[in-house]
Amino acid sequence: MEEKELIQGLLERDRKTVEYLYEKYSRALFGVILRIISDRDLAEEVFHDAFVKITQKIDSYDESKGRLYTWMANICRNSAIDKLRSKEISQSSKTNTIDDFVYGLEGGAQTQEKVDGIGVKDLMNQLNTDQKFIIEYIYFQGYTHSEIAEEFDIPLGTVKSRLRAALQVLKKNIERI
Amino acid sequence: MKEFSVNIQEYIESGKLELFLLGELNEREREEVIAMAKAHPEIQQELDSLEEAMFSLDELTGVEPSLQTKEKIFATLDGDLQERKIPTPTAAPKETKTVKMTPWKPFAVAASLVAVLASAAAIYFAGKFYETDQKFVALQQEQAVLADNLNQVKQEFEQTDSRLDRLVAGDFRRIEMMGESFDMQKDAKVDVFWDQSQQEVFIAVNRLNSLSASFDYQLWAIGPEGPVGIGIVDPSQPFSLQQMSAVAEAGAFAITIEPKGGSESPTLEKLVVLGEVA
Repeated sequence: MEEKELIQGLLERDRKTVEYLYEKYSRALFGVILRIISDRDLAEEVFHDAFVKITQKIDSYDESKGRLYTWMANICRNSAIDKLRSKEISQSSKTNTIDDFVYGLEGGAQTQEKVDGIGVKDLMNQLNTDQKFIIEYIYFQGYTHSEIAEEFDIPLGTVKSRLRAALQVLKKNIERI
Repeated sequence: MKEFSVNIQEYIESGKLELFLLGELNEREREEVIAMAKAHPEIQQELDSLEEAMFSLDELTGVEPSLQTKEKIFATLDGDLQERKIPTPTAAPKETKTVKMTPWKPFAVAASLVAVLASAAAIYFAGKFYETDQKFVALQQEQAVLADNLNQVKQEFEQTDSRLDRLVAGDFRRIEMMGESFDMQKDAKVDVFWDQSQQEVFIAVNRLNSLSASFDYQLWAIGPEGPVGIGIVDPSQPFSLQQMSAVAEAGAFAITIEPKGGSESPTLEKLVVLGEVA
């Protein structure tokens, strides 16, 4: 389904389109949340609310301001971060490290997850220490780039260029998987 | 934006697009990215490919939510959703064209031989490409880090340069503050540069011992109304200019050791250097 068609269907509250949206994006979007909230039950709850919000607030999505996935991922990310902050969980115990995350996946019951977990680990191992650090905090712990700069005393420009470099490496390697 | 004509590659490399996708930019910056993407197809393309990569990464690291959650979601949405009234037009099935081929054995053999050779070559070059591509990514990263360092050095240089400009352009007089006549640090020496008309004061540390963390050096301008504290002196940066607060009237300058953060009035027993305005 083309993105335009998808959005049209969502605007019409068409059940088939919403089902399609769920099939195509639930895994990735739930992944966004699960990275930030390690508690599975809590993450499911946040995903429920976020997905309902996406479907109901589709009117406020503005195509000229970015693509659909970015919009949806940001809703999920922000919902997860809001939930964390409201629960007053301290930054340090926010979630696990990349290694724990990957390990968690590997320890999962489903074979599919196992295979993917190994893929993620390989992927993360392509990063150097600095890049891993940035990805860990931004991607897996929900820090903003300015929070990292402040908390770890890294110049803002350096955070940005490391984030970019890291995503370039991940991008290159994803294409190979 | 510093300059109107922004280098597109520089813009792409800046990391702004990534932050845009992560939803970390403020409204003004967001609009700037949107406008830039509209004006430059290269930027739009980069944005699209980054979004694609982020989706793939999320999908790869993601997990299917539980079936209960799915059911709950659709139960919540139930009243909201409807079956589409107007069915979407289904595309008419295309006729598949069939072209008759005359089986021509020798040519087929030759063709498959060529195919095998071509595949072998393709695999070989793909391997080469992979290697080169890896190196290229590594170089790109290195370049980004270098560019970043250069930027920092540039900023520091500009700061120093503008101080120097002011020093050269202004009507500065130099007052040497010495430690000889005091017991604290006999060999201490700090220069004050003072432009009385502009009321600007810089200092340059020549020799000053370092202090423990609970003390600071404080600079005083001693004028008709007694000593006025005009700033903390950093002894760790010798021979570089440090700007102090404005002073219009002073007969002498002095530095004392004070508790961290400085004091309201100087501790005269801990006077380190003094210089009179000639």
